[in-house]
Amino acid sequence: MSEAPKKTAVELHEVSLSYEPSIPVLRDINLVINEGEFVSIVGPSGCGKSSLLKLISGLVNPISGEVSVRGKKVVGTPPSIGFMFQRDALLPWANVKDNIRVGLECAGVTRSDHDSRIQSLLDLLGLAEFGSHYPHALSGGMRQRTALGRLLAYAPEIYLMDEPFGALDALTKIAMGRELLRIWGEQKRPVLFVTHDIEEAVSLSDRVVVMSWRPGTIKANYEVALERPRDPRKVRMLPEFHALVDKIWSDITEE
Amino acid sequence: MRRISLTLARLALAAFILGLWEYAATYWVDPFWLAKPSEIAARLTELAVSGDLWLHGRATVTNAFWGLFFSVLIGVPIGLLFGANRFLADTIEPFFLGLYSLPRVALAPLFILWLGIDDLSKIVMAFSMVVFVVVLNTYEGVRAVDREQLDMIRVMRGSQFYLVRRVVLPSVTPWVFASIRAGVGLALVGAVLGEFLGANRGLGWYVEFSAGRLDVIGVFSGLFALLAIGIGFNEVARAIEARFMRYRS
Repeated sequence: MSEAPKKTAVELHEVSLSYEPSIPVLRDINLVINEGEFVSIVGPSGCGKSSLLKLISGLVNPISGEVSVRGKKVVGTPPSIGFMFQRDALLPWANVKDNIRVGLECAGVTRSDHDSRIQSLLDLLGLAEFGSHYPHALSGGMRQRTALGRLLAYAPEIYLMDEPFGALDALTKIAMGRELLRIWGEQKRPVLFVTHDIEEAVSLSDRVVVMSWRPGTIKANYEVALERPRDPRKVRMLPEFHALVDKIWSDITEE
Repeated sequence: MRRISLTLARLALAAFILGLWEYAATYWVDPFWLAKPSEIAARLTELAVSGDLWLHGRATVTNAFWGLFFSVLIGVPIGLLFGANRFLADTIEPFFLGLYSLPRVALAPLFILWLGIDDLSKIVMAFSMVVFVVVLNTYEGVRAVDREQLDMIRVMRGSQFYLVRRVVLPSVTPWVFASIRAGVGLALVGAVLGEFLGANRGLGWYVEFSAGRLDVIGVFSGLFALLAIGIGFNEVARAIEARFMRYRS
């Protein structure tokens, strides 16, 4: 941890949300994500984890409380937010290159720079040979790599990830986590990572936030004091890792 | 390999049906009611040589084509508009579905009264058959757009125009093609109906004219020509669709 005072990237203050009047989804959420911090949110499915990300990205509005990104209240979508969905949300009619291009186009990158940017992202993500493949011809892991490529092409300053590797098999999941940490380590952008996989959360994060079931509230905060840079596979062999996973497990199952 | 065996199987099926038909028409059925395939082939050849087949066929095909063309040209924007404005769509829906449920055959006399017995009344007839299907399909297509894809673009602050171009239009395209495939048959029905009720040419007119003279061979020849046109139209529509949606295969 650095000595300098931490800067706040995202802040939720007493935020409550409901889609229908009598059904509260989130209640009195207070959460701060600092610049450069990798924070995971774990909790049972249906606890409103995804809604939390939608609040920050301005896709939904709270019924009370305030959401702010870099000190500015969220009204509509704030700039430089990158959102990664559990379902990759790739465009089926566009090949891998063109799906990545969407990120560049939305970021307003000059057209003449597209090809070189796309090429370097394909190389970075091990997709070099798949540029002209359409999504249906790709494996789940490849599809998520493409979605990650699109996200990186947009060059966001804050990453919101909604169970991005949730649909992948265990091996691919760990490989993608490692890739994500490598990229995160270079840029040190704040990440808010939603998952229901506690081991994944602990292996990736600086901090794990535990949420309770409906209405979703924040139940606990765990600092993850594991070394950085970190290999999310090797870290799983450490006793501290298991101790923390166990603590969070019992916290969740207590309900 | 599969293509070749498929073509062979289709030809065999056609040959079997025609053979059975020829046999039945020769030995079982009074020739007053049923024409033999061989007679139909002879008549079609005759019509082709005299140029009548071309004259009638062209009239029907062009009218059906323009009916289909304008249905897409006008129907797609209306469907998109409905999709963009749910309130508008909900307001118009009962009237629209009422018109859709109205048998268009019942409108044909009106079209002929208003628009005369020339091509225009047939084009409008075909249009009235097809346009509803195009509008409804396009509207359904807009409603079926993947929400996550929209959210994905919105989070990256893509413009409304960009959203439509990149997500809405491409995802509506298969729905429009589905309506075109259904519309091919309907457009022919519309054109032929118009010709039945008032025309001086067209395959529908030829069928009606032959029936009036108790010329069963003429009736069947007209029907065969229509059948062939239907198959051809469908194949063209399928080929265009396959070109547009190569990403699926």
